[in-house]
Formats: sequence, C-alpha cells, structure tokens
Amino acid sequence: MRYADFTPYDIVLLLQGLGVTLALFIGTTLIGLTIGLLLAVVHHYRVPGCRPVIVLVTEALKNSPVLVQLFLVFFGIPAFLHIRMTPVEAATLTISLNTAAFAFVVFRSGIESVDRDQIEAAEVFGLGRSQILRLVIAPQAAAFSVGPLVGILVNQLQVTSLISVIGVFDLTKIGNILNLRTLQPFIVWAVIGLIYYLAAKTLAHAGGRIEAALRRSVKWGGI
Amino acid sequence: MIVAENVEKRFGDALVLKRVNLRVEPGEVVTILGASGSGKSTLIRCINGLEALTGGRITVDGHDVSTKAGLVAARRASATVFQLFNLYPHMTALGNITLAPIEVLKLPKAEAEARARALLDKVGLGAQADAYPQQLSGGQRQRVGICRALAMQPRYLLLDEVTSALDPEMTGDVLRILAELAADGTTMVFVTHEIEFARHISSRIVFLEQGELIVDLPTAAFFAEDGGLAVPRIRQFLSKMKKD
Amino acid sequence: MRFWRVIEPYIGFLLQGFALTIAACLLAIAGAVLLGALTASMRSSGNRLVRGAANAYGDVFRNVPFLVQLFFFFYGLPELGIYIGAFETGVIAMSIAGGAFVSDVILSGILTVDAGVIDAAKVSGLSRVKIFTRVVLPIALRVSVRPMGSVLINLVLTSSILSTITVNELTGAAKIVAATTFKPFEVYAVLLVLYASLTTLLSFAISAVHRRLNRFMTGG
Repeated sequence: MRYADFTPYDIVLLLQGLGVTLALFIGTTLIGLTIGLLLAVVHHYRVPGCRPVIVLVTEALKNSPVLVQLFLVFFGIPAFLHIRMTPVEAATLTISLNTAAFAFVVFRSGIESVDRDQIEAAEVFGLGRSQILRLVIAPQAAAFSVGPLVGILVNQLQVTSLISVIGVFDLTKIGNILNLRTLQPFIVWAVIGLIYYLAAKTLAHAGGRIEAALRRSVKWGGI
Repeated sequence: MIVAENVEKRFGDALVLKRVNLRVEPGEVVTILGASGSGKSTLIRCINGLEALTGGRITVDGHDVSTKAGLVAARRASATVFQLFNLYPHMTALGNITLAPIEVLKLPKAEAEARARALLDKVGLGAQADAYPQQLSGGQRQRVGICRALAMQPRYLLLDEVTSALDPEMTGDVLRILAELAADGTTMVFVTHEIEFARHISSRIVFLEQGELIVDLPTAAFFAEDGGLAVPRIRQFLSKMKKD
Repeated sequence: MRFWRVIEPYIGFLLQGFALTIAACLLAIAGAVLLGALTASMRSSGNRLVRGAANAYGDVFRNVPFLVQLFFFFYGLPELGIYIGAFETGVIAMSIAGGAFVSDVILSGILTVDAGVIDAAKVSGLSRVKIFTRVVLPIALRVSVRPMGSVLINLVLTSSILSTITVNELTGAAKIVAATTFKPFEVYAVLLVLYASLTTLLSFAISAVHRRLNRFMTGG
C-alpha cells in the first residue's frame, strides 16, 4: 500500500504539470503565431524564391506526425549538429514551428480574403504598401482568422501532451508518474483528461468572445 | 377514388386547410386553383401523406392515408410530380425512373429499364437516359420527373405546380405531355397557375380560398358567367392571373 | 546518399512497421465510421437523453489529448480485467477518437440532402430503410468524401502515437532503428518525409475520389 495512495501533495504536482503545459502552450503560441504571420506577409509580397520553400516546409510540418517532429528535433538535431538540447528547448522549438505552419495557412487565406478591389482602391488613394497592410488588410484578415485560429490553438493545446514523451514534466508526464505510483489508471487519466478538457473549453470560450468582439469592430469600421 | 372529408391541417397556430371536402373519380382531371398560400400544395401533400392531417380523413381507393398500411397502399396507387422536380441527384435519368419500380414493384431490372426507356422516348428524352439531372435543363428534368411518376403505373397522378419553375417554352413541352396523358384517360389532381391550360384539360375545377374550398364545379360551369365567375373572389383571381 | 545508407539494412523491418500502421489505420477508420454513423443517428434522435449522450461523447473525445485517451485505455482496461494487446488497444482508442469526428462529418452530410428529394423517395413508396440506403446515404457519402478523408489523414498521423504504448508501427520501428544505428537524425528525417508523402498522396487520392463521385452533382 506504500505506493497506492493519493496524497494532498499530488494536487501540487498536478498544478505544476498544468503550469508547465500552459507555459509551454502560451510560449509556443506567441512564437508560432509571430512566425506564421511573418511567413504569410513574406508570402503575400512574393519575396523571390521564398514561396515554394515556405509552402514545402509548412506542408511537411502539417502532414507529418508531431511526435516524429519531436524525435527529429530532440534526438536527431543534437546528434547531427553535436549540440546539447534540453527537452523543453526541443519541445518549444517543435511546437512553435508546428503552430507556425498551421497559423501561416490561416493568415494567408485571411490576407487573400481581402478584396483585390479594396487594395487597389487604397493604392489609388495613395496609401503606401505598409499602410495598406496595417490599415486595410490587417484588421479584416484578423477578424477572418480568429475563428480558425482558435480551432488550431485548441488542437495545439492537446498536441502539447506529446512533449511528455521526450521527458518534459507537463501535465501528461505528471499523469504518468501518478499512474505508476498509485496504480489507479482510471482515476489518474480521467482527472488528467478532465483538466485538459476544461482548459480546452476555456480556451474555445475565450476565443469565441475575442472573435465576436473583433467582428463587431470590423463591422463598425466598415460603416 | 380519392376522397377527402372535412380535412383540416394546422401548422402551429396557422389553419392552412379548413374542413376541405373533395372527391376525385377515376378518369377525372381535377384542377385546384387558388392564390399562393391558399393551401393547394398542402392539400396535395396531405393526399400523398407527406403532411399528417390534424383533422378529417383522406382515403385513396378506400385506403386511409393516416394509417400505416393505408398510406403504403395509397402511395402504391398514386404518384407525385413536384414543382422543383426533386430528382435523385446521384442517379441518371434511367436510375431515377427505375429505382421505385425495382425496389417497390419488384420488377426485374431489365423490364424496369425497358419500361423507363419507352417512357423517355415518349417524352422526347430517349437520348438522355444516361444523363444526370445536373446535365439536363429544367424542362427536361421535369419530363424525367413525370416519367418517374408514370413508371409506377399509378391510378392517380398528383401534380404540384409542375410548371411553376420552368421557362415559358419548357412549360409548353411539359403541358403537351400532360395533355396527352389527360387524353389517354389518366386520372390527375393538378395544382397549377396555368388557367388556360386547366380550362383545356380539366373535367372539374375547385377553388381554394385561405384554406377553404369555396367552389367545386365542372370546368364549363366554373368559367360561366352565372357559375364560377359569379363569385367575386374568383373573378378577381382570374382577371389577376390573366394580367400576369 | 547517407540517408539511404543508414536506412537500407532496416528496410524490411521498417516495412513491417509500415504494414502495422496501415492495418491500424484501416481498422480504425472502419471502427470510426461505424461508431460515427451510430453517433450521428443518435445525435439526430428525438430522445434528449440519447442526443445528450452522443453529443457528450463527441465533445469529450475531441477535447482531450489522444495520448491521454490512449493511456486511459492502455492502463485502464487491464484493471477491468480486459487483457488485450497494445495494438488492439491502440485500434480501439483510434476508433473511438475518430468516431467523434466522423459523426460530425456524417451528420452534416445527411443534413445537406434536399428535403424534396426525400419527399420524392417517400411518395414513391420506398421503405425507410431503402430511402436511407439508396437515396440519403449515397448523397451524404458523396459530400462527405473530403471531410472523411481529413479524418483518415489525421488517423494516419495519430497512429504514430501508438509507439508510446509499445506498438512497433512505423514510428515505433523507426525508434528501434534510430537506437540501433545511433543515427536518429537520418532515421527521423526519412520518417518525416515518408509520413508527409503518404498523407499527401492520400489527400490527392481523396480529391480524385471526390471529383469522380461528384462529377454530376451540384457544387461538385
């Protein structure tokens, strides 16, 4: 019975795991969205030679398992380049790039959703390229992108569970530890699942509110 | 014989049919006239059991359509042609026509197809047997719809505004076919806005006004000054239709 | 080429893993379609309890990481006295997770079928079963090809996670090769390209099937 019991300290463990999961999720989301946005802008301006490379790399990231990407970064890159990499670094790099690939697609179609007519009209009014991007394209593209982005982020939150496989002490890893110690898999995994579920629901809810607010502001701007 | 007795149909608070009585004898062509929203299409949809009655009774050859077995028998005896064709989009013209004969009448496939091809020839679509609905014009689709109904060899043909969605020239094609059917003695219940055509082929005309069947007369009497035209609402309706 | 030199001796072994991946995905998509169809019919049921249960299933299994679901079954089932292999557990978990997505696909497919077309089938005297199998389902499946294809592609990607419960499918086999050769970069790079090619090929195939089946349909 030495191993079997849950202790109050397990709650601290769970909170720690949740903290790691959320910190990594938020960090990779910020990095990923930034990179995805940059890629979309570069793609939009047809920087020579960049388009095929961006499309090839993002497609490869979207169409291969995240677990394999994690193994490639965590085991492959250090062996290949003879560098050291901690699990957290590998996880951050991988999930960021993965999020960037999905975000790129959303931002790209967000930009494409803005009418050519509007852009031409803005050019006629003498607006510069960066002004058009900031004042005309960005607000509309943002309103168009929020819905799909929320869907992607809810998914990426779940994807972060895979980083436990390369040894990051996230919520799933804590689940593994508790599972081994207590030998109560049903309770442990149900609780872990519930926490992920609540986090996903909160995220989706918050995203929905942001989307509604953005849509309102764009509508007002249109009048 | 189709018999509707005191038929009532409610959608929520709206009373769409009020105590409607109607008899259609074999060999008759009965046209139902009335303004939009007068309940004409609903009456057809009650006869073929697509809408459940909220009062009264409808029988087709004695089969009560509100009972399960009665509805099966009533649907076997009748066939419906729809305003918007409602063809099966994933089947060719031939597939549309043969589905029910094969599945319901249990005809052998070859026989069902031979019958379907004969019908398509008759309506001038012999070459379109293997075309999908998307590849056909509106008028052609409606002719397929008529063939699909006729393939069931129904005793009663129910026609729900079958030309309303068609261009005038296509309307002519479809009406010619219906005139031939009427001349062959096919029993029809016909909801339409084509007054002149109705006058030409109908044996009787009934008029629905806000869910009430206010006039039921032989065609000649309906258009007589001392008959249907004596009813102000009908005179108004007919003159409005002529203008349109 | 260095990548090929690393992989070559293990091609047979990796192919075995690949076969296991394919088997898992085929079984799982079959299971997911069965469960998804059942759930979709439950979600369109008139009974609130049935509808609620089906909705809850979809909601839960779409919002909990697959890895957690997999561990739940892998460690949990033996506790219930159900001893099945890791592969079978993986297939069951994939079917259940996939079914949550497939039910959405089927439900929206059924909802696209024009009510008038169903009316036509009803008045022609076809039985409820025949209306469903000959009219509703064929139309719904045609519009569902693409979204169903996305579910299948996601299952292929998800199947790599079975390597965490000792199933030596493609990723599991690659892990062993990487550990044996001490060449993880080469092995995982090849693996990534393999998965990406496989899913890209699949999506081409799905598009072709979609075009073929929807040649003559509206919006096809």
